[in-house]
Amino acid sequence: MTDLGLYRHLDQMAPWNDRLQVLEVIGVSDEAPDVKTFTFRSDNQTWFRYKPGQFVTLELPTADGLLMRTYTLSSSPSRPFSIAVTVKAQAGSTGTRWMFDHLRPGSHVKAYGPAGDFSLHSHPAAKYLFISAGSGVTPMMSMLRWLNDCAPWTDVGFVNCARRPEEIIFRKELELLGSRMPGLSLGFMIEERSSREGWFGHMGRIDAIRLPLLAPDFREREIFCCGPDPFMRAVRGMLEAAGFDMARYHQESFAAPLVEEIPAPFASPTGDGAAIPVEAATPIRFSISDVDAACVAGQTVLQTARASGVRIPAACEFGLCGTCKVKKLSGEVEMSHNGGILDHEIEDGFILACCSKPLSALDIEA
Amino acid sequence: MDARNDMLKRLQGRRDGFSLEQPFYTDPDYFKLDMELIWYRDWLFIGHDCELPRPGSFITVQIGDYPVVLVRDQKGNINAFHNSCRHRGSRVCNTDKGTAAKLVCPYHQWTYELDGRLLFARQMAEGFDKSQFGLKPVACESVGGYIFICLADEPADFAPMRTMIEPYLLPHRLREAKVAFESTIVEKGNWKLVWENNRECYHCAGNHPELCKTFPEAPTVTGVQDADSDPEMLSHWAKCEAAGLPSRFRIDPAGQYRATRAPLLRDAVSYTMTGKRAVKKNLSDGVATDRIGSLLLYHYPTTWNHILGDHAVTFRVLPISATETAVTTKWLVHKDAVEGVDYDLAELTHVWTETNGQDRRIVEENAFGILSPAYEPGPYSELHEGGVIQFVDWYARFIGPRLAEDGRPALRSVA
Repeated sequence: MTDLGLYRHLDQMAPWNDRLQVLEVIGVSDEAPDVKTFTFRSDNQTWFRYKPGQFVTLELPTADGLLMRTYTLSSSPSRPFSIAVTVKAQAGSTGTRWMFDHLRPGSHVKAYGPAGDFSLHSHPAAKYLFISAGSGVTPMMSMLRWLNDCAPWTDVGFVNCARRPEEIIFRKELELLGSRMPGLSLGFMIEERSSREGWFGHMGRIDAIRLPLLAPDFREREIFCCGPDPFMRAVRGMLEAAGFDMARYHQESFAAPLVEEIPAPFASPTGDGAAIPVEAATPIRFSISDVDAACVAGQTVLQTARASGVRIPAACEFGLCGTCKVKKLSGEVEMSHNGGILDHEIEDGFILACCSKPLSALDIEA
Repeated sequence: MDARNDMLKRLQGRRDGFSLEQPFYTDPDYFKLDMELIWYRDWLFIGHDCELPRPGSFITVQIGDYPVVLVRDQKGNINAFHNSCRHRGSRVCNTDKGTAAKLVCPYHQWTYELDGRLLFARQMAEGFDKSQFGLKPVACESVGGYIFICLADEPADFAPMRTMIEPYLLPHRLREAKVAFESTIVEKGNWKLVWENNRECYHCAGNHPELCKTFPEAPTVTGVQDADSDPEMLSHWAKCEAAGLPSRFRIDPAGQYRATRAPLLRDAVSYTMTGKRAVKKNLSDGVATDRIGSLLLYHYPTTWNHILGDHAVTFRVLPISATETAVTTKWLVHKDAVEGVDYDLAELTHVWTETNGQDRRIVEENAFGILSPAYEPGPYSELHEGGVIQFVDWYARFIGPRLAEDGRPALRSVA
């Protein structure tokens, strides 16, 4: 049901408000078993400004209360009238399951963001390698779609690993892009055969032998990796062992890592399809709320608070009005404010949550 | 007959040297005229520079209907603004004092720079011109550590007051002092009764045992009469001026402000029960001389002051209604003086806390009695109450012509 009279050109629209936006669902589509893409437009006739690979935080009003869930966007900012997230409902998932059960075209949901540094725009290079597993494909898809629209000759190796052939998300679109982007080389890998679809490609798990088969010149590429933590650890291990310059390796994950034991900030421990960068996650304790969260690289204290369901009042969000001033009980931050806090307040341990990024573990009175 | 004409008629018909008629002390319409014609037009003492120690320090005050905020900006200037957000009018600063990096309205977080410019207004329509919605300024001047504001659109020239008063104040370096204690009491009496009581010491002997241990009751000290024929005053002035402290009695030709330095009794140097100093550290590093007495300063309609060698006591009068007046007292000491080491707070504040309480009761009894239908204006003592006569004359001289002006007074309005 489209009202053509509502159409406005991009240059007639303002960018969306990245602090709080009400989104309207305009599409729900099946991608794979238990995987759906939800497409949104702004209910305010704004366009979406973000970097391919960034994530948004959705506020999901479930029966158990508000859940804050973070999802990487699968859409491309080169198509700025709408955004989309592609999510997998894992067993035990609450937030994503709620989306599956409740979001229909016409539904509304609140969103914060975009945020995140996991983007090829932050790490420009001549050649890229995108390695993903499962729904870790979403930020890769966002970046690939952007490249197809804006720089289709770019040299990209795209490797996706899935359990079964039918679980490869975006498989048809990827194959189509492969025929249109001369520099795109696709590599798929499955763990087990399926009775539903034949398979002629690689099988098993990615390892030091198969990686060079899928991307022979991986050493020359800027590598982006996203998937379950064991998967990413395996990829990282292979690259380290191969002497790869890890400064050119970037990863993002679904759930809290098992090894570092950082409490899960965004996703439920069972995994909720939420993609979060983990390598640089910094623990933040919000003492009044009794919430332990993890701050993703590039995120502010305020964004982390929101993603964890901790409410810190805020208004301008560029360090001017001081509304988000909170006491920092311990830890160090990097703060780039615009005059919204006084020197003596800083000396007394206060920070503006909106423009402070942790340099160490933090204890925040909020 | 409307209040304006009524008041004018009663002023014109008043007996010189007599107290005012009942409605001047009790009538809400008269009170409204006092506010409009005096309080919203004249310079008013609000507080001290040292209460705004750094950029972002602010204090708020309510003058009749006008909430006002005073704030020190990044350049160190003290600015006054109407404390009413240009969005929908909410009070921007809603505490007595504090520090803030920016002035942020708590309602919708409209954010103003400390110089009043609107910096940020969330999600206003495109084309919204922030430059049109800065906080409205209030005229503000600082002299010798005292901050005055004026709500009028065209304030009276502040320069003559500065020229006369500043030399008396500067040696005391009140800009560098600190407020050791402050108290605000509400006296259930008209603001003019508060002033009349203050302008004489006729009542002191019977009411102020603590103050009378150190403060002389002589009318030449407290009043405005014959001070320069009193040999004790003359010798005190000579001694103090030789030490670099302007001291002679001087008064504004219109009678609105005056300064003089009065000796305390015998060997007293401070307002304590013993007469000895209350603060070990001198108030000012620039005044080392002992026995300088008290610098007496008043400026109608808001302030009278006592500035001593070891501390200063300053007073601010603000009317609340026809029959209620707030009196704020501040005890200032050297900024490095340490409570419990250089002074005992109870000892420092004792005399004036007691004296204020006594004055409050006096004023309230006075106000109570004036409510009697049998009240009629009575004669002031010419010997002791020259100061009261001078105050009432000043009042009549200031408000009378303003009452007679055509049309409504030119008031500064707030959006």
